[in-house]
Amino acid sequence: MSDGTGSDGARTLTAEGLSVEIGGARVVDDVSFIVRPGRVMALVGESGCGKSLTAYAILGLLPPAARLAGGRIRLGDTELLALSNRSLRHIRGREIAIIFQEPSASLDPLTTIGSQVAEAYRLHHDVGRAEAMAKARDMLADVGISDPDRRLHQYPFELSGGMCQRVMISIALINSPKVLVADEPTTALDVTIQAQILDLMKKLVAEHHTSIVFITHDMGVVADIADEVAVMYAGRIAEIAPVQALFSSPRHPYSALLLASVPRLDAAAKAELPTIEGTVPTAEEFGPGCRFADRCPLADQQCRTEQPPLFDCGTGHRAACWHIDRIGELSKQGTRVTA
Amino acid sequence: MLRYIVNRLLQAVIAIFGVLTIVFVVMHLSGDPTLLLVPQDASAEVIANLRRQLGFDRPIGVQYLDYLGDLLRLDFGTSVVQRVPVSQIVAARVPYTIELAAGALAVALGLGIPIGVVMATRRGGWIERGLTAVVVTGQSVPTFLSGILLIAIFGVLLRWLPTSGTGSISALVMPSIALGSVSMATFARMTRIAILDELGKDYVRAATARGMRMDQTILRHVLRNASIPLITITALEIGNLLAGAVIIETVFAWPGIGLLAIQSIQARDFLVVQMIVLLISVVYVLTSVLADLIYGFVDPRIRLMR
Repeated sequence: MSDGTGSDGARTLTAEGLSVEIGGARVVDDVSFIVRPGRVMALVGESGCGKSLTAYAILGLLPPAARLAGGRIRLGDTELLALSNRSLRHIRGREIAIIFQEPSASLDPLTTIGSQVAEAYRLHHDVGRAEAMAKARDMLADVGISDPDRRLHQYPFELSGGMCQRVMISIALINSPKVLVADEPTTALDVTIQAQILDLMKKLVAEHHTSIVFITHDMGVVADIADEVAVMYAGRIAEIAPVQALFSSPRHPYSALLLASVPRLDAAAKAELPTIEGTVPTAEEFGPGCRFADRCPLADQQCRTEQPPLFDCGTGHRAACWHIDRIGELSKQGTRVTA
Repeated sequence: MLRYIVNRLLQAVIAIFGVLTIVFVVMHLSGDPTLLLVPQDASAEVIANLRRQLGFDRPIGVQYLDYLGDLLRLDFGTSVVQRVPVSQIVAARVPYTIELAAGALAVALGLGIPIGVVMATRRGGWIERGLTAVVVTGQSVPTFLSGILLIAIFGVLLRWLPTSGTGSISALVMPSIALGSVSMATFARMTRIAILDELGKDYVRAATARGMRMDQTILRHVLRNASIPLITITALEIGNLLAGAVIIETVFAWPGIGLLAIQSIQARDFLVVQMIVLLISVVYVLTSVLADLIYGFVDPRIRLMR
């Protein structure tokens, strides 16, 4: 299987043929991508498409029901999936950090912000309490928390959701990890706060040269923050491309329809927002062919019986579709699609 | 926090007032409490005299206000049987029950919580199965039976511990175990549930993602969060222990208020019974309030509330 983007160069994190099973069903199937130093790789798709499981698999945090069914994840030269729990602990938080969708639930409600940030530092640095606390204070200031000296002694419930996510980001970045996995970090936040958090993440990535694996279902967020995008559908990568290429010329019908269903200010006010008919197949309904075939206007017999590989369609641009050459027919028919 | 405290204390006052009223109503349910006090074959004249002497011939409303007034002045009346103030009789027995309840609580907390922690963290092995057996046994064997079994084995058969009496630690061991075993099972189950509940929360996953060892996460974060529901349960269990003391004190001839209650019921010394009922009820209410206050202290969401 290819590495997803085709081009060579420095890579921070590589996923190869990653597969995850829940109860025998392949909910993540043969997912490969490369994360480059200081770049943002977005995994985008509807809920249940396997994007979060992919993220958790990187850190060995799969829920008990899920089983790793194959593939490799390399951080530099280290093969993560082969590591013992003990070795993995030294990677978690120090080399790869993660922030979650519900920032306030990810903090211990009974412990002060300061001790939680300082604790994250002391887990990987042999320093005293006072030194760690000073580091925590600087880190809080770094992520734009006002009055950090007071915040150190506050509890999570005293902070807004946006503030809590800043705290989570400070915890994630306090050990200067190479990779930050962000699992829908702005989904639970107000739109204005969302923009602030995204700006903060962009700034920190630039300063610390951290790579980000950004999980989201929001194409607007993807356009804002991502360098590369992997569009996932029903556990597989449908299309992977540099962000400009994906937005200007999507080659997989699912990506194209997904982009067409994003509301645009410049569209006619009364124009009906296109939707993709039908629903994502459940793991039990997966057929031998393309998993999008039942909802795809371009689907034919081959699509239903044979799984398409990722075809090259530009620099670092690949799409898993038998009909990447017929994508233009979609716009001729209009984007309103019937299953 | 201050408003929270005042609120809880006010609630306690209301609850205690309710308890006093219920005890009064129960005492007068039979219509004439005098009949509870006299022997079966007492003459009508004796009954009438006693009724007048105790004021039971007055209107019920007056009796009620009089009753509340007496209690407010902490006057619990004079025992018609022993002819000494009821408070004196009860006070002499209270230290024994405190000693027994403390011993039982130590057994319940000291064994129950560690068992619950181990059951929650070492799941699916023979350790968990063994502990489950201990918990189920503790929960299902009635107090009087476990008391008698303990006496038969350790008192009579092995002669390791005295079968009754007070005054030494060894005398306290068996009654404490017998009385505390049911609570021990409750604490073990509740601790297990509370910890499993916490282990499923996002902050535990987040701590793992930070590179924290599971045992560190449990010690630093999970136990404290899990302790909050246990505080409430401790308060409830103290009430249950006092109620259970009635049986255990009888089995072990332990001279606390439980045994006194039984003796007073048999002697028809109803003012003593009344005071014990009031005492246990008030302790029950006060431990609940205390639990709420401790709860507020542990949980910053309540402590910092304005």
